Amino acid sequence: MKKIAVYGKGGIGKSTIVSNLSAALAKRGLRVMQIGCDPKADSTLSLRHGEPLPTVLETVRQKKDAFALEEITCLGYGGVICAEAGGPVPGLGCAGRGIITALEKLETRGAYEIFRPDVVFYDVLGDVVCGGFSMPMRRGYAEEVLIVTSGENMSIYAAANIAMAIENFKGRGYAKLGGLILNRRNVKDEETKVRTLCGDLHTSIIGMIDRSDLVTEAETMKKTVVEAFPDSEMAAAFGELADTVVFRQRTADKA
Amino acid sequence: MRQTAGLISTYSSDEFGICSALYELGGMVVMHDASGCNSTYTTHDEPRWYDMDSMIYISAISEMEAIMGDDEKLIRDLTETALEMKPKFVAVVGAPIPYMIGTDLSAIAAVTEQATGIPCMGFAANGMNYYTKGVSMALEAIVRRFCTGPALRTENLSVNILGATPLDFSLNGSVDSIKDWIRENHMELNACLSMGCTLEDIAGAGNAHVNLVVSYGGLAAARYLKEQYGIPYVAGVPFGERFPVMLAGMLKEAAASGQDLVSYQAVGKNQTPPVPDAPYIGSDSDEGQKNIRYDGEYSGQERRNCQLTGKAQEQKNDSQNKRNVHPQRDKVRISIIGESVFSASLAAAIELDRGISARVLCPLDTEDQLLRECDLRTPEEDDLMEHLLETEIAVGDPMYRVLCRDGQRFYSLPHEAFSGRIYDPVNPNLINRKLEVLSC
Repeated sequence: MKKIAVYGKGGIGKSTIVSNLSAALAKRGLRVMQIGCDPKADSTLSLRHGEPLPTVLETVRQKKDAFALEEITCLGYGGVICAEAGGPVPGLGCAGRGIITALEKLETRGAYEIFRPDVVFYDVLGDVVCGGFSMPMRRGYAEEVLIVTSGENMSIYAAANIAMAIENFKGRGYAKLGGLILNRRNVKDEETKVRTLCGDLHTSIIGMIDRSDLVTEAETMKKTVVEAFPDSEMAAAFGELADTVVFRQRTADKA
Repeated sequence: MRQTAGLISTYSSDEFGICSALYELGGMVVMHDASGCNSTYTTHDEPRWYDMDSMIYISAISEMEAIMGDDEKLIRDLTETALEMKPKFVAVVGAPIPYMIGTDLSAIAAVTEQATGIPCMGFAANGMNYYTKGVSMALEAIVRRFCTGPALRTENLSVNILGATPLDFSLNGSVDSIKDWIRENHMELNACLSMGCTLEDIAGAGNAHVNLVVSYGGLAAARYLKEQYGIPYVAGVPFGERFPVMLAGMLKEAAASGQDLVSYQAVGKNQTPPVPDAPYIGSDSDEGQKNIRYDGEYSGQERRNCQLTGKAQEQKNDSQNKRNVHPQRDKVRISIIGESVFSASLAAAIELDRGISARVLCPLDTEDQLLRECDLRTPEEDDLMEHLLETEIAVGDPMYRVLCRDGQRFYSLPHEAFSGRIYDPVNPNLINRKLEVLSC
């Protein structure tokens, strides 16, 4: 089981990329679980075609511990197991603490043992702004963190901040930085800027996704690009990135 | 009003359960919380505090340390103090503040262990759970960490006691009486987790033939020892005169068969004659007596009643909505409020010795298998008041008396985890003796 946490600045396209990776890996026959770690609970929307899914935290709030795993998960496109942590009412409570509780509940409900996924993606809200948002990178959760960034300055700052958190935690046995995914916004010197960041962080760009209207079109259809436009170049790009994300380590191990 | 204790006290929290379970083991226990809050543990809930040294500390986290997530200060303090005090282990215990800011105490423990070379454990307590959960976490963690070597079984049957803390058993000699009772029944005491016990004893816990689980707090450790060493467990506390005989038989049976048993499930099903002499509790009425039979051994049916199988557990779960309708306990006259294993054992002892049906009202963490069909989980004050109306007699901590109706008979059984040390001098030892010492 490979567990990967995906971080990056809010609005940079994490959920779109992760959902397409999940869909692409499902098409390759892998069992994938995608866990949205964002109070908005919209990470898996395109995998489940907009169908509602009760969030973990809302279910816990209503039913305490009297609920089954099936009530907080559903099967989306290609059999991808979808779960959404959810969170407090906007402006109230503690979203970070909510992420911790949600992930603990999924674990104690046996999500990993029952579904036995080959790949688990934690799609984490924005930056590592507090203790709760580091939960997906803690021991027992993801082994690897991928950061999605564009060449925009704010996105690069966020990526650097996330990498700093990973560095701070290196004595704790947390997840390691697995690389950056460049989600192009077509800003000036975009690739150069991100490569410079990679140099600073001693990491590399593991994949690049071009800007495309197909992403917006697919979102309107409440589907991933992989599902809506399977023969498109974008779908191929996501497929290639999926192979890199999941198989590169295994290839390296074999080598 | 739901989720409110307007009339009664509240139970000790999970941090205190951890402190109590680890108190005698030579470790350094650090509650990661603001200074002041947790001193109630030492001043109210720890009867050993003035007579026995133990390294119990509070990190005194400040507002800014919490806001800024300054784990480094805690790690520094833990490291310096541990190197100076040289404890056998370090336990970092959570509290509401670290819980809310998501402090990773296990990771902090790992970093501290790397720096000091001393075994460190992090406990995700939050002050919002009962002490029972804390005892459970602590005992499970300590056996997982230190009881790892091969088992060296003796020829004589040896027993671990799991789940003994003053929070449930006070310092009134009850735990010593359980140890004596084990020896009187020609068994050896291996380790007692964790009163009168060392870390070295715990390291050898895998040598026992059978575990005696005396509270819910001992169950998780028992499961680990079953999984790791194949040691079966029997849940029960040897209260009264006849129940201890049955319980001793079950320990031997479990050691021979490897089957886990909840001893008191066997009482009150294939029913037995009562002890004829003076009732210490209840009226002289013979109601219920026809349902009681005991002949020093428990029958095959009784054995089946107390075995824990997956199917039995499912049936028990199914019966959750049918509680209070046990065919042979249709006249329950006594309600015992308290911890599940403790109270259900006492209920069984009363049924066997006195022929009066008793049930448990359990406000604390437990599992269905540790309660009998007639027992109830009553986490709310309102539930307790309602159910107390249904029986003639109530038994529990004196602070529960206020929930009884006018004229209802109430027998005091002080519970350290509920009323602290207020009632220490009158807290009776009911182990392996005639049940005549409960006071009105």
